[in-house]
Amino acid sequence: MKRYVLFVVALCFLAIYLFPLYWMYLTAFKPSSETFTYPPTFWPTHPQFNFVQTFIDKKMDVYLWNSMVIAVGTTIIAALIGTGCAYALARVRSLGMDIVLFLVLMMQVLPPSLMATPIFVLFNQVGLIATPRFAVVLAQSAKVLPLFIVLCRTSFMQIPKELEEAARVDGASRLGAFLRIAVPLARNGILVTSVLIFLQSFGEYVYSRSLISQEDLQTATVGLMNFMGPNTTDWNGIMTYAVIYVTPILIVFMLLQRKIVSGLTAGALK
Amino acid sequence: MKKTLVLIAGALGLLASTAIASAEDVTLNVWTIDRQSDPGYNYVMADEFTKLHPNIKFNIKHVEFADWANDIMRAVATGTQPDIAYVDNPNTPFLSSKGALLDLTPYLKDSTIVDTTKIFPGPLSTVTWDGKVYGLPRGSNTIALYYNADMFKAAGLDPDKPPQTWQELYDTAKKLTDPSKNVYGLAFSANGNEEGTFQFLPWAQSTGADFDHISDPGAVRALEMWQKIIDEKLASPDTLIRGQYDSMATFNAQNAAMGISGPWELPRMSKDAKFDFRVALLPTEKEGDKRASALGEGNNVIFAKTQHPKEAFMYLEYMYSQMPRVWNEFGFLPSYPVEAKDPKWSAQYEVFAESMKYARARGPSPDWAKISKAISTAIQAALTHQTDAQTALNTAQTTINGVLGK
Amino acid sequence: MSSIFRSAHDGRGFDIALALLALAYLLVFSAFPLVYNILMSFQEVDMFSLASLSRPFVGLANYMTLFANPDFWPIMGNTALFVVLCITFQLLFGFGLALFFQQDFFGASYLRGFFLAAWIIPALVAGAVWKWIFAGDAGVLNYLLSSVGLIDQKIFWLSNPAISLYSVIIANIWLGIPFNMILLSVGLAGIPKDMYEAAALDGAGPWKRFFFMTLPMMRSTLGAVISLGIIFTLQQFDLFASLTQGGPANASNVAQYWSWQLSFQTYDIASGSAVSVLMLGFVIVVAFIYVRSTRHEYSA
Repeated sequence: MKRYVLFVVALCFLAIYLFPLYWMYLTAFKPSSETFTYPPTFWPTHPQFNFVQTFIDKKMDVYLWNSMVIAVGTTIIAALIGTGCAYALARVRSLGMDIVLFLVLMMQVLPPSLMATPIFVLFNQVGLIATPRFAVVLAQSAKVLPLFIVLCRTSFMQIPKELEEAARVDGASRLGAFLRIAVPLARNGILVTSVLIFLQSFGEYVYSRSLISQEDLQTATVGLMNFMGPNTTDWNGIMTYAVIYVTPILIVFMLLQRKIVSGLTAGALK
Repeated sequence: MKKTLVLIAGALGLLASTAIASAEDVTLNVWTIDRQSDPGYNYVMADEFTKLHPNIKFNIKHVEFADWANDIMRAVATGTQPDIAYVDNPNTPFLSSKGALLDLTPYLKDSTIVDTTKIFPGPLSTVTWDGKVYGLPRGSNTIALYYNADMFKAAGLDPDKPPQTWQELYDTAKKLTDPSKNVYGLAFSANGNEEGTFQFLPWAQSTGADFDHISDPGAVRALEMWQKIIDEKLASPDTLIRGQYDSMATFNAQNAAMGISGPWELPRMSKDAKFDFRVALLPTEKEGDKRASALGEGNNVIFAKTQHPKEAFMYLEYMYSQMPRVWNEFGFLPSYPVEAKDPKWSAQYEVFAESMKYARARGPSPDWAKISKAISTAIQAALTHQTDAQTALNTAQTTINGVLGK
Repeated sequence: MSSIFRSAHDGRGFDIALALLALAYLLVFSAFPLVYNILMSFQEVDMFSLASLSRPFVGLANYMTLFANPDFWPIMGNTALFVVLCITFQLLFGFGLALFFQQDFFGASYLRGFFLAAWIIPALVAGAVWKWIFAGDAGVLNYLLSSVGLIDQKIFWLSNPAISLYSVIIANIWLGIPFNMILLSVGLAGIPKDMYEAAALDGAGPWKRFFFMTLPMMRSTLGAVISLGIIFTLQQFDLFASLTQGGPANASNVAQYWSWQLSFQTYDIASGSAVSVLMLGFVIVVAFIYVRSTRHEYSA
């Protein structure tokens, strides 16, 4: 009985929380004249289905592919560089490591809109602007790296040192113990963090806009802005585009997250 | 004999030019706020121009209007600026005064297409700096008063007699405001950036005030009128955070009976507005006052660092020569007198074309952005009643005096 | 040489090498822009000197101009309020939901997944959606509140200077809940179940278990979530751009948006950089507190 009550309560929470998302979907189906009427309609009276046309007109396949490239690249770099650092920060306690942790946190304070100009100047100097998507990957991984490190660090903290020490006694090297014991045990934390970072990088906007100048290398978020001109804002178009953009990720994530979260709740450690 | 010689010389010249042209293809980088999908002005123009001059290709980059200053400054700083760009008219002096733009004066001397004396004084003043010309207007726009004639009739007002003075505007707005039906009398924009300033200046200017003497009694009365309209809820309080386009959406949805905006609204309005919409000149304070209106749209400029000034100028000339088309195809008003053939929305066109005669450039000043910010700050301070109109405009005046070095 | 290699391979050096790799990466790609901003805040900058480091030094002049600006203190106050309220409520809701979904009921993990939707939506779109919801005249929030009789006059969420900042805060809390919830869920999952069982056997009630077991066990996660949350909150830019643009009359303006406005709306890059340096100072304090708090993890 209690379980069903909880289920209903959960549904209520969800309905409130997802209302803005519902509004986004709703607007995508409304014609523009219906968007600003009052009282607002909660169901489109003349639903529009511009999805296929928007997808083709706005060349979303190209944009989405570029977003994917940048998100995958960012996640790989952040995971490769960040996992080790997180592990070290979890294992070693010293003034030096304190300083490292301090610096890592401090580095991601300013919003990308303020970082973009100096980064552009730097990348332009060293010629990275010639490979703009790679440039965005580098800048974006720097942005998400502190997040990755701090989050993974807490995962490594939860793994008892003794397991690794046992492996060391059995003759494993540090590297071996790290790769074969610590990383697999922290895989849930690493995975969740990677997914969060992937999603965030998929929606990266400021760096792409600043560093990529060719239209065909541009990302989906920048493509989204193409609906907004100085004297025009096609809100319904924006929402249609946003729906196309969000829905697949949402579905994939729904399927994936069960694995992730059930893995978590089962608990890798007993 | 002479004719033959000229012909031969001409033919040779043509041959030579094509020979040179085919020898080296030129790619011009263009930055524009136009969108590829509409298709926007620059995309159309570049396409047509390439058909005429196959050796000149284009690489067009879309820049967000909001990010324009950001991107241009960064590009100029790093030497990655394009050959040609669109510049909003009040921002042009910022670039020309700093030497970022190519001085077109020598090219204009030899041009058979462009005669700058024909350009309306408003647009011309925005491309001129220190007696030299740094760009060519691609078109202009201005603002006027839209009104819903059906609502006028329903309220017993004569739709052929739109308000002429501020008082009439206020009375009409009051009559048409109906909270029970969610209808405001007026929609306009008083937001905290350029759009607020853009909408306010004509009100002030028609009383004789201007940006460099913005604390004049006339400007204060204008701001007090705005205060009254907002305080009495004849316009939505959201006027303070809405741009012109979002404000006019409420006019189209019949949640506002009148609206102040420009011709760019017409394409959407003719689709969304299911009523008789008409346009009138902006009201003045008293009958017979000097009229004033705002000058919008912008200029095509060439950056000083370009490697292909000749080709870039040819492209500018071509765009300039297409002025007769801009109304029907892109919704701009012509920046020099052209014969409008069969204009779309002809009744509204007449009004906007007349309004153009009173359109005044903002500035021109290389520090327009700071001046504009001072004015919009004053507007917002007064409309939220942080201070009264006089104090707010006095503060703006002090800031502007500092900027102008007075 | 070989001893360094062996150490890196097999000893303390291994940890140091791993940490330094990431640090080096950040020094190249993050420290440079930061130093660049700091430098500009002490210089006279214009469009043409933006890309060169040698610009005329003006000492503290930019900061003096900033402090003399009547908008300075109100905006700093707004920033503090924004950070404190956002963090508090994100954490409360996030923790509450994490605990709620920790319980065993039908569909718990699926439903929890839905909460991550806000993390996926591009900030620009989230801003646009919230702008309609908050719209004073045609907004759905006013409509809902008045149809259930909670208000009898429309609230102008975004254009009333007394309210606009709180509206942005509400939208930002909405955006921040998924982040807090998922991380706290991860933390909760790491607490061994048998500890609870043992405590329950000892007669500890749910509140007691929460305060004396859950909270202490979650200390490192909470530390991470709060400090990262503060940094994310300070980075929030798009919501301000799409909801209020800091208005009306700067009533909802905060440091990060103001800095951008100064630099790129009025071309006063030096003042904009000075604001960003002040933000940096604030984060240094936060980072310091976080690092200090991690010390407990080892003594425990």
